[in-house]
Formats: sequence, structure tokens, C-alpha cells
Amino acid sequence: MKHLLLKFEPLIWLLFGQGVLLGTLLLTGWVLVVGVLAPLGIAPLLSFADAHELAATLIGRLVLAGLIVLPLWKGAHHMRHVFIDMGGADRDATVAPLLYLIALVGSVAGIIAVVRL
Amino acid sequence: MSEQQKKKFVITRFDPDRDEVPKTQEYEIPVQPDWKVLDALNFIKDEVDGSLSHRWSCRMAVCGSCGMMVDGEPKLTCKEALSNYGDTVEIAPLANFPIVRDLVVELDGFMDKFKSVKPWIIRAKERAVEEGPMRQSPEELEEFKQFSMCINCMLCYSACPVVANEPEFIGPAAIALGHRYSLDSRDEGAAERNEVFRGEGTVFSCSFANECSEVCPKHVDPAAAVNQAKFNAVIDWAQGLILPRGGK
Amino acid sequence: MPRASHPHAMQPRNPGSTRTAPPQMPPKFPMQGRYRAYTLFDWTGLIYLLLGFLALRIVWALGDGEAAWNFVMEQFQNPIYIGFHVLSLVSVIFVGVRFFGFFPKAQPPRIGPVKPPPQPVILAGLYAAWVGVTVVMTLILTGALFR
Repeated sequence: MKHLLLKFEPLIWLLFGQGVLLGTLLLTGWVLVVGVLAPLGIAPLLSFADAHELAATLIGRLVLAGLIVLPLWKGAHHMRHVFIDMGGADRDATVAPLLYLIALVGSVAGIIAVVRL
Repeated sequence: MSEQQKKKFVITRFDPDRDEVPKTQEYEIPVQPDWKVLDALNFIKDEVDGSLSHRWSCRMAVCGSCGMMVDGEPKLTCKEALSNYGDTVEIAPLANFPIVRDLVVELDGFMDKFKSVKPWIIRAKERAVEEGPMRQSPEELEEFKQFSMCINCMLCYSACPVVANEPEFIGPAAIALGHRYSLDSRDEGAAERNEVFRGEGTVFSCSFANECSEVCPKHVDPAAAVNQAKFNAVIDWAQGLILPRGGK
Repeated sequence: MPRASHPHAMQPRNPGSTRTAPPQMPPKFPMQGRYRAYTLFDWTGLIYLLLGFLALRIVWALGDGEAAWNFVMEQFQNPIYIGFHVLSLVSVIFVGVRFFGFFPKAQPPRIGPVKPPPQPVILAGLYAAWVGVTVVMTLILTGALFR
């Protein structure tokens, strides 16, 4: 398992890096409006019809896929570091694949979610 | 005549022949206003307790021998002004290293990691003497010069949380030096080093705490080197997908 | 005395015969001094995981229909959700500031023949992109663009 982790590490790091970079770029406005301003009534939110129409465009699907997939890989990779920093390095070969599996399952579900829009 | 200032030093002591575990011992000594921390340690050894063991050499922050934890931070004791510290100063051996005795730590673990990155010019084919020296422009030198300034003081290893928790990790100074050679225009060994960087001591273990660069007394910025090395390892990996090395 | 590092931290491949004392953790790790920002940075991984799954929930609801979408949007008005999203916003900004600050120096001096731009230019570009994407995203999500 350790050997597999080492083999896929560059890909995981790329996904993690983009999770931080692109994920942060995309998430700021998203969380601001969808999570804070709209629920508090400070700003309006797109109607369902408008939201669906925009989301179903190619760019819309790509952006939404990015909003789902990229934070998951950043999250999984950083939680792996948290576990190691708490002294769990000797169990990394068990914990890391579990965390990346969570990210992978979420990513697959995310791709299905944008395809079925 | 004004009364001379005194400071208290709480110093880690460990004698493998006598002690189960390290303990601390306190010394209160008169100090001079222009002293470095190392001056206080040498005073203690010379005038108070000759059994205190610590490494030091150049006294001018170029040899890298005198690294220790001072008030919980890795420092070169010859460089740190004592006036920057309060009335009580805690001195301990470098964190993350096995302790040989008192303030002296085991260095061979670092030497193993150091050698593993092949810190020398690697050529596919050795250049014949008749061909003359290899030439390098100032621009080519600038690309790696910063990373060649390391004095192997190992403060970065003491500060790094990954070194603390992952024993196989190659570590900041060794990766920075390997990267220095991979960036050198005379070197042709980047692929060989990338195999080491992606091996058990993987550069990807680095979590970019940046502590190594914060504590480096020579402004080498090992964090920059490690993360550039990750980038290069990814490019190497991607090239390997498209053009497998085959028999190489 | 500080707590112990990993027992094999910095251990030589061939240890000598003299007994050594185990390596000690840097005393300020994990939550004192500069380590605090680093540890919090890693813990934002939990926030990002939750945000990713929340985004999945929203997009799935969008595909299920208006009733599902309205249900999710109503749930987001719960103070616990709003509190989480405020914490998330702070976390995302914290991650951006820390990561963008480090990003320029992590670029290699060249990739083949291509040199990256000077580090201040990269940093300015990152912040410009951040502000730009956030403004565009806000305008789109509030219906100010493309209504």
C-alpha cells in the first residue's frame, strides 16, 4: 500500500494543489453568496430555473465539478497531514488510502451530479 | 562600579552512562552585555561545570556546529545575542535528533539523508580534460546559488514537523542540496535524483510548514527548494507517463 | 521536558553502540508560535471536505428538481449552517492568503526554456484572479449577470 501511495503521490499532490489554488478561487464567492449573504437575506440568490439553466451549460458543469472535486482532494490530503502531525505516521498506509477513497467517491458522485443536471 | 547582570540558564543534561532520561540543570552566571548565547555556555563549561558538553567551532555562523534549542527555538548559539533573552534562558539539544550527551546530538542520520540525494555533479558521460572546463553564465549560477549556501547546521530539521513525525522523510537541507545540483546547468542527474525524491523519503511528505525557511540562518529558503523539487518531480512523473523510460 | 518525536526521527541507518536519548519534539509544536498558523492551515482540510460534500448536495438537489433545491436552500438558513459558512469563509480566506504567499517561491526557476514571471508579479496575478473570480461568481450567483 505504501508503494501504491508513493506511485500516485504526484497525481494526488497535483489534485491537492489545484484544490487549494482553484478551489480557493472558486469557493470564496460561492460560500459568500450561497452560504452567508443569501441565507441572511442580504443578497438575492438565483431562482431555481436560472440556476439550473446556468448550471447545465458546459462551463457551469465544469465550475460546479471543480467546486465539488477540488476541495475534496485538498481536504483529504490535509487531513492526512493532520493525522501524521498527531503522531499517526506509522498508520499512514491505512489512513491515507481511506481519506483518498472518500475524496474519490465524492469526486465520482460530483461528476455524476453535474452530468445528470 | 555597577553590579554585573546575572542570568539563569536552564540546560538539558544527559549522560548515557548515568542517566535514564535527560534532565535539566540550572546555572546562574554573570553575563556581559555583548555576549552571544555561546559565550555563556563556554563560561559555564570553563568556570562552573567542566562536564557540560556542547559543539561549537567558528563563532561566526559559518560552520553550522553550534545549533541548539534556545527558549524553544532552534538557533545558532554563536549568532544569538544574549541581550535578546530574558533573565532565564532555556537551552536544549536540537529537537528531532537523538541525544548523544547534554547538548550534543547524533548527526549520522542527517549524513545518511544527505548522501541519499547524490549531492555532486552527475554527468551522463565524464568530460575529458582536453575539452576544458565546463562554462556557466552568471544567470545559470543565479538559478541555484541560493540553495548552495547551506552550512548544514540542521536548524531546519529541528523546526520541521514532518521530520518530527516521519522518520523516512529526506528533510529540508538534503532536499535543498539535491535540488541545487539538479538546477546546476553542469548536472545531468535530475532524473536520478527525482527517483530518490519520489522514493521512501518522498519530497511530497513536506506539508509546507515553512518553518525550515523561518529558522535558516543563511536564508537558503529550503521550503522553496523542497516545493520546487515537488513540481519538478511531477513533471518527471508526467514525462514518464508519456515516454516510459523502458530500459534506462 | 518536551514530548517525544517519532522514536526513529533522524536515527542513523547504522546506530552506534552508545545509548542515545530519544529525539524531542520542537516544544512549540503544534499550537504555539508560528506552528499555530500551520496547524490551523492543515485543519482547514476538514472544512474543505465538508464544503465539497455540501456543494455535491446542492448540485444533486439542483438535478432533483425545484422542491429539493428549495429544501436545501431553506436548510441553509439554519443558524448552524450560517455559522459553519461564516467559519468556512474565514478559513477559505486564510488558506488563500497563506497559500498565495508561498506560491511564487514554489515555482521552479525554469521549466525547459520557459522562466516564470518575477515573484511579485505572480503574487499580484493570484490576488487579481482571486478578486476577479469572486466578483464574477458573486454577480452570477446573485443574478446580477445572466438573469
